[in-house]
Amino acid sequence: MTAQTQAGVAPILLIEDEPSVTAFLRAALERHGYAVANASSGAEGLKMLSGGNYSGVISDIRMPGAVNGAEVHAWIQKNRPELCARIILISGDTANSETQAFLAQSGTPCIEKPFRVQRLLEIVEKTFGKP
Amino acid sequence: MELAVDAAQSRHLPGFLERFAERAARMLSAEWCAVMVFRGRETDSYQTSNDKARPDAAQHTALVLFARELAKDIEARPLDASGSVGEVGKGKVAVFVPITASDAESLGAICLVSGKKAPGEADQRLLRALASHAALSLENFRRFSQLERSKRQWVEDIDAISDYIVVHDRSWRVVRTNRSLASHLGVPPVALVGEAMSSLRQIAETGSDLPCPFCRDTKQSREEYVVASPERIFLVSTSRTPGVSDDDTRTIHVLKDITDRREAERRYRELFDSIQEGLFFATPDGRFLDVNDAMVRMLGYDARDELLRADVGPHLYPAAAARERFLQALAERGVLRNYEETLRRKDGTLLHTLQNITAVRDSRGNIAQIRGLMLDVTEQKTFQSQLQRERDFNQKILNTTQSMILVLDTAGLISYANRRCFEAGYREDELIGHRLVDWVETSHRNDFEAALETTAHGQQVENLELRVRRSDASMGHFSISLSPMRDEQNTVNSVVVVMTDITDAALLQAKLAHSEKMATIGRLVSGVAHEVNNPLAAILGFTDLLLENPQVPDNAREDLQIILRETQRTKDIVQDLLSFARQRPVQRELVQVNSVLRQTIKLRSYDFASHGVEVVEEFDERLSPALGDSQQLQQVFLNILNNAYDAVQESGQRGHIAIRTRLRGESIEVAVTDNGTGIADPERIFDPFYTTKQAGKGTGLGLSICYGIVRAHGGEILCWNNSEQRGSTFVVRVPVANDASVAAALAKEAGR
Repeated sequence: MTAQTQAGVAPILLIEDEPSVTAFLRAALERHGYAVANASSGAEGLKMLSGGNYSGVISDIRMPGAVNGAEVHAWIQKNRPELCARIILISGDTANSETQAFLAQSGTPCIEKPFRVQRLLEIVEKTFGKP
Repeated sequence: MELAVDAAQSRHLPGFLERFAERAARMLSAEWCAVMVFRGRETDSYQTSNDKARPDAAQHTALVLFARELAKDIEARPLDASGSVGEVGKGKVAVFVPITASDAESLGAICLVSGKKAPGEADQRLLRALASHAALSLENFRRFSQLERSKRQWVEDIDAISDYIVVHDRSWRVVRTNRSLASHLGVPPVALVGEAMSSLRQIAETGSDLPCPFCRDTKQSREEYVVASPERIFLVSTSRTPGVSDDDTRTIHVLKDITDRREAERRYRELFDSIQEGLFFATPDGRFLDVNDAMVRMLGYDARDELLRADVGPHLYPAAAARERFLQALAERGVLRNYEETLRRKDGTLLHTLQNITAVRDSRGNIAQIRGLMLDVTEQKTFQSQLQRERDFNQKILNTTQSMILVLDTAGLISYANRRCFEAGYREDELIGHRLVDWVETSHRNDFEAALETTAHGQQVENLELRVRRSDASMGHFSISLSPMRDEQNTVNSVVVVMTDITDAALLQAKLAHSEKMATIGRLVSGVAHEVNNPLAAILGFTDLLLENPQVPDNAREDLQIILRETQRTKDIVQDLLSFARQRPVQRELVQVNSVLRQTIKLRSYDFASHGVEVVEEFDERLSPALGDSQQLQQVFLNILNNAYDAVQESGQRGHIAIRTRLRGESIEVAVTDNGTGIADPERIFDPFYTTKQAGKGTGLGLSICYGIVRAHGGEILCWNNSEQRGSTFVVRVPVANDASVAAALAKEAGR
């Protein structure tokens, strides 16, 4: 993982199981000056979180495997509270009532797939600041 | 005086009276005297033996006739004065003095004939005294002869009695027996006189130690008991008459042979006791005089004596009033036939009886005895009541079931219809006696006739689904089962038809199937949308990135714009799909449905007005609020209105849209009726992508989304083509906000 780049700024951790979405996110963020590290599952994301330093986390909510976005969020709350306000969730399924309840309760910003680049950068800047 | 003594002692009347005549004649110096004694119509004449003075036969007859007419004390009659008396002699007088008994009965007369004229005073006295003596003598004599006769008669009577009679004295010697007893022993009656009583032991014995076989207790003046010999049974009645001396003490035994009576009695008793019906004799005040074994058994007593001791009223009658009623009825009618009475057994259980009662009345007409025969009908009664219960039960089932039950005869005519049929509105006169098939829809009649035929052959037909005319002439969907009913010969004599109107059930099932289908589609759509969203996000994202790239040439940029637009369109479709499938909890707030509708109509009012579409609002202003999301509901109403608008536009006629709201049970109902082209397939209208509109005019998801919204509100959305006019009707029903639902919504709001 080439995480520590560009004047020592900690990268944004991207947790997304869908490679095409990961590719797009990575391209969009890097082209706009953000450093990005990615994990392809929730479990891998948690592993990276416990071992490294990240400026923020962008995570898909619905992911296969044992750890989904809500659990990633819960883990951060417990183990990395300083990152609590620096999470952006991505959802392809906001119609899901569980997702809705989780988002309403946590107040975490969420981007609904599919989204425009402008929308993504707007929320990223608002949450993590400019690169 | 001596005459009287003579009379008392004499046993020979004629001699005595002749002597009396002689003496009288002598005493009164008469030539002839006769004592005339009346014996019924005859007159016996006892005369003096002086032949010279004796009147001749004719004269005598005249004298007798005169004597019979004699009423006075003494009458002297000159014989010549009576022509009929004849020539007794000139100057002779007949003197008559009547003989009268102490009770004034005329016994006869004394007639004296003498030469004298009339008797003097002294003679008259003497004559009266003589007459009185004669009367006394005659009376005595009569009494004596009566006594003789009756004594003789008594002996004859005693001998005529077939019962054995024996009289013995204190020394146990036979004083007398009657002929029956003697002939039983084969000896003349006198032969037994003086014999010891013990010699009569062969007849029968009482078993006492006394020398007389018939005596038991000599201290009793009367005894009565039954003794039996090997062959005969006797009722021995004994009377003891104490005399002046010991020797005079007489013991009289009368032995009545009751062998036959005993036999009859035994047979009667046997019958009485062996008969299965209860028999009883009772007093009106409630005591049994006799009861048979069956009666004892019926009433549950251990022994006859126990029942005989029981007090009928309180022991046998569960209620005193019943006894009163029984006595009253018996007193009025004297005989009670098949009288039903519930009695109480000894153990307290009830006994249902059928009684035949006769009252035996005394001379004054009061009931002296009650005789009756009693049948135990408890079992029949129980059976009857069981039968009744079963009948009631069946009746209840027939009357309370929600199915119509009819019985048809073999010709298919209705002979019975249960209450449900009439509750459903059918009249008795249009069912009973009519053919059931006439109620079946014409196209289904063959099916029904075939089923009836099958049933007539003994086969059951179940769940035949036919359309049948209801009482209000509408057609209903009925499930019909036919069962054959057989008579004792096992021949099918009628058919039981059970009909259930399943129109509602069929409708419900269709609704259920529809909502299941919609749920399945929802899950599918949700899955697809989610899967599409990922690649869509990448396409949209990279398109954006490419468009940001200044190195991309303009002509490629134009193509990218097309990609971007089509991606956006795809995104919209997916969003719509997700809205349909969305289980998104609606905003829960109180919604005034009427005002939401008014706002919605306002949105399209310009279009309606400019295209001549008439919109009629029929709102129930007292409508309660619903609980839900006014935005979403508006979306639903707008969708329906748009559809209605499109439909009336297409029809080319003047459009008319009626919007009606009303309260229907616990729901608010909004009905939108148009006179448009109608719906080609109302069953599929809510399916996603089902559209009748031109390509590009709609995604075919509008009504699917409405469906999802209304369902999420706990309501339902329906549509059908109008039956009476062109066009279609959409109905949306959402539940009325009640206290509980409002409270729940508020709680949820607070917890958010």
